[in-house]
Amino acid sequence: MFSDYSPSFAIVGSGPSGCYTAQFLRRAFPDSLIKMFDRLPVPFGLLRYGVAPDHVGTKAISSQFERLFERDGVKFEGGIEIGVSTSLEELRQEFDVVVLAIGLSQDRPLSIPGWALPGVYGSGQITRLFNGHPDEDLECVSVGDRLVIVGNGNVAIDLARLSLLGSEKLVEFGVEAEVSNTLSSQDLRQVHLVGRSLVGAAKFDVAMINELAKLHDVRFRSDAVEPINENPEAHKRYEAISKLVRESNLEANRVVNFHFGWTPSLIGGDGDVEFIDFASQDGLEKLTIATQTIFSAIGFVEHEDSVVRRESLMTDETDLTTGFLSDGLYCVGWFRRGPQGTIPANRSDAKLVSDQIIMDLKTKASKRSGRTNE
Amino acid sequence: MNRKIVILFGTESGNAEFAAEDMAAEIADREVEVVDMTDFDVEDFSPESFYMVICSTHGEGDLPSGGVPLLQALTSQNPDLNGVEYAMFGLGDSSYENYSKGSEHIDQKLAELGAKRVGEYGRHDAHTGTLPNSAAVDWTNRVLESL
Repeated sequence: MFSDYSPSFAIVGSGPSGCYTAQFLRRAFPDSLIKMFDRLPVPFGLLRYGVAPDHVGTKAISSQFERLFERDGVKFEGGIEIGVSTSLEELRQEFDVVVLAIGLSQDRPLSIPGWALPGVYGSGQITRLFNGHPDEDLECVSVGDRLVIVGNGNVAIDLARLSLLGSEKLVEFGVEAEVSNTLSSQDLRQVHLVGRSLVGAAKFDVAMINELAKLHDVRFRSDAVEPINENPEAHKRYEAISKLVRESNLEANRVVNFHFGWTPSLIGGDGDVEFIDFASQDGLEKLTIATQTIFSAIGFVEHEDSVVRRESLMTDETDLTTGFLSDGLYCVGWFRRGPQGTIPANRSDAKLVSDQIIMDLKTKASKRSGRTNE
Repeated sequence: MNRKIVILFGTESGNAEFAAEDMAAEIADREVEVVDMTDFDVEDFSPESFYMVICSTHGEGDLPSGGVPLLQALTSQNPDLNGVEYAMFGLGDSSYENYSKGSEHIDQKLAELGAKRVGEYGRHDAHTGTLPNSAAVDWTNRVLESL
């Protein structure tokens, strides 16, 4: 790209946003040292541990990324954690550019009374269990005959589907038998998906709702009200839910209930979870659901123990819209923009940040050559 | 066939691009160019090139984000594509209701503007858990042989 200039890159985090960044940087700098680091011994982050095990088409994207290591000369070092095995300062000294692609690994807490009762689990934890993450322990988890999932984005829908898919099917998709038996037992009878958004504003993709129709032994119900005068997307969401309910198997003895427009207010129980209360948007109505198990799927935040905090890395020159934190330091993916968007969105994000990195390096290079020409 | 081959890809997650790279490698003995739809100027369509279009599907039968600008440009600029020949390969996932419709948006538009599709319409189903790469490469060979 610019002759004789091969800057070196460190990418911290090897999930989709990190890997796409490596792809774009490799294309621009065919000869540069590009090294990817991950806390875990194996790469691919949420692609490996966040994508549902039955979404094989999405999982196959890893083959693209494997090519980075197999053919494109990108290096990978696992088991490296900033603050433990190395420091950000060390990396910034060793590499011309450091890109932080570390995502957001902690479940956003429910922050209501009773959130810490046994029986309340974060979606990240459950998804990691389904995907065989080394840090997760099944011993702490049990699922009763009822499940309340707080949230109605794609992660919430994933959890509902996986919980009802059944142990046998899950094992076919590579989930460990013990995990499948615990998380997707036939004992599960009722699943409630409760989100604070009304159906038109709910964050699920329509395709995710349509996919639930393949659960033939489940009946679907919803309290959704048709949106009035809203954008086409809002109506599409309502239509998807309505269709699912309309074509429901009325003989099924397992039920999924969609509740829209309810905000959690209290989790109660004597020792273990027994019920969860929700308040309507206008605060006038209350919904109480008896349950032994609650999954919260309301987004992700920085891990509370994380050494690398975006806010502490920001300077006066930081521009989060481009991923620029400070000289030679960038952020990409969820760590840059928050926990929204699936894999394609992270590809666009990586392109945007890579373009900025390339532009900044060009500016530096021309300044440098400008000086030597004096 | 002596025409230059332009492999035009429309991608969302990089899979179509990944396959396009393998297609190009397969026919490296010819004059080939791999172009992202987002970077392609519709005025550059020419009967002197043969276009192998590979495009994925997003969501419920929509174009991938990589294909949207091209469709918009074809619609607004209305180029005359008479004499232009192309082949079509669509990526899809049969676990979705509207299987593999993404590429059809481009196919329809190209045909409307006078371009002619040749060869079989290639398809790959991601639900098989396999990548589209070898299917796309095999299809590339078959299409070029049939010309």
